[in-house]
Amino acid sequence: MKHEERGIMSRYDHRKPVNRLTYGIIYLVVLIMACSMLYPILVAMFNSLKTNTEVNSFPPTFIPEHGWQWGNFKEGWNFLDLPLFLRNTLAIFVGNLVVTIVVLGMAAFSLSKMNVPKSKVISMFFLITLFIPPTTYLIPNFLNLKDLGLVNTFAAFWLPAGASAFNLLLLKNFFDSLHQEMFEAARIDGASELRCFGQLAVPLSVPIISTLAIFIFSTAWNDWFWPSLVMHSDHKYPLATAIYKYVISARGLNLNIRFAILFMVMLPPIIVFLTLQRFIMRGLHLGGVKG
Amino acid sequence: MNQSALPIQPSESNQTRRTGIVQILKKHLWGYLFLLPALLLFAIFLWLPIIKGFVYSFYHIDFVKGNTFVGWDNYKTVFDDPDVGKSIRNTLYYMGLALVMGFWVPIVFSIAISEIRRFQGFFRVAAYLPNVIPVVVLYGLWRWFYDSVGPINAGITKVFGGEGIAFMTDTKWSMISIVFMETWQQFGSAMLLYLAAVLSIPRDWYEAAEIDGAGVWMRIRHITLPSVKGLIVLMLLLQLIGTSQGFQAQLAMLDGGPMNATLTYSLLIVKYATTRLELGVASAMGVLMFMVLSVLAVIQFRLQSKGDN
Repeated sequence: MKHEERGIMSRYDHRKPVNRLTYGIIYLVVLIMACSMLYPILVAMFNSLKTNTEVNSFPPTFIPEHGWQWGNFKEGWNFLDLPLFLRNTLAIFVGNLVVTIVVLGMAAFSLSKMNVPKSKVISMFFLITLFIPPTTYLIPNFLNLKDLGLVNTFAAFWLPAGASAFNLLLLKNFFDSLHQEMFEAARIDGASELRCFGQLAVPLSVPIISTLAIFIFSTAWNDWFWPSLVMHSDHKYPLATAIYKYVISARGLNLNIRFAILFMVMLPPIIVFLTLQRFIMRGLHLGGVKG
Repeated sequence: MNQSALPIQPSESNQTRRTGIVQILKKHLWGYLFLLPALLLFAIFLWLPIIKGFVYSFYHIDFVKGNTFVGWDNYKTVFDDPDVGKSIRNTLYYMGLALVMGFWVPIVFSIAISEIRRFQGFFRVAAYLPNVIPVVVLYGLWRWFYDSVGPINAGITKVFGGEGIAFMTDTKWSMISIVFMETWQQFGSAMLLYLAAVLSIPRDWYEAAEIDGAGVWMRIRHITLPSVKGLIVLMLLLQLIGTSQGFQAQLAMLDGGPMNATLTYSLLIVKYATTRLELGVASAMGVLMFMVLSVLAVIQFRLQSKGDN
């Protein structure tokens, strides 16, 4: 007997003409949605290959009609020091990830597996911060960094990365699912707590660490406003802030060059996402609520 | 857990409490050492700014000459500024629009995509794609889409003729345009969450309902939607929390214009800090926002605990 997985609609439903019609319409709507998601990427690509007059013409063309201007990419590349800004973004990402794993990992491990007295109170100290909306202390946060003399340094990103209650919660929930007996056995064999954490807990938490890496990467890659406040000198901006300051807000820049830069910036994450798509989707699932 | 606090030898039972604490510390030295860095970072980078916000709201902040105490002046400035009222109305309008235009979209698409057999994976990935592209890049692209000579207006004039719509510069349209863009950009991640919930509903429930004569729409209404109700409530709360603080798209795409039509409360905080250079007033606005939101949080908590009973 052939067992077919059914959805909300059964095979029988699919035979009814009314249902077939609605199903067709739904399919069409979803297809249009998918196209609207792909459209901006194609527009950015084709517009970056046009001459400036063609980009500005009305009605706009989709595919370049006056020859493909590959030189635009070179011009865009020379307009901004993209490798420098990319390096800054990666520096923020790597630092944040390391601080998260070491600082929050150790704290989560302590709360989850070392049953210290008063862990309830300590958890409260961490978790209440989840309920305070960050915008309410946005400016004091900046002033605080200024008081500490951290403005315009990467430490202004790395150190606060260790103060994320959400990431702490993710790590703690994951450690809770690891068996206590394993750590007891290691301790009896004479392993120190540091070894229990570094050589047992961390290697076992590769799934949650990759989830965290996705979150931290997308924050580092996306965040443009906060770095524009904290970083003052040009050569310290991460990529997103540099794009905002020099490309989005720029007045004199030709539209086709602008599109060329935007396309060069959006291409790497899309390629990474499409190649690692299966892992990333799984990782997002593990991360639960935060999309 | 308290076991460790008990003295190990009976002879120690009459010792003072202090040695008890020392013993706990000795036994759990590593546990507390593991917690120490996180405790320090939370204190310095979260709790300190939160507390400093209240302090700074009574000061005039000057980076060169130093801060001076000004009492309630900053709060007076906030209540005298007509932009504040306007920004509150804009924020509420923005939250409402985001609910009306955006909240239902991921739910509908998750149910639709769960029913699609062919290329389901492709649709999932496509819907998530805008989350992968840096938002600043999307702001740049959408500014061109919405332009008076952009592709959307080209489509409108081609189909309907006439003038076309000034999506960005018309005060009636600017907020709607921003919400539309944000819905497009963000619904994918919410959709994936709903999809996971919808796909985890047992198939035989539908089977049973169908045998009982429930149509497709009835099955969605009485099985699918109630099953993801918890998630819907959670997403609603998260969206309200998020949109009440929204300012980045408004800042990047329109800088609060035209005629302050997209000036949200959070954006006004940012403007007080960056262009008006009144960081004390910005802190005071943050404190006021904190007050209002915590009252709302308490109400929500009350409602939730009532619902659990």
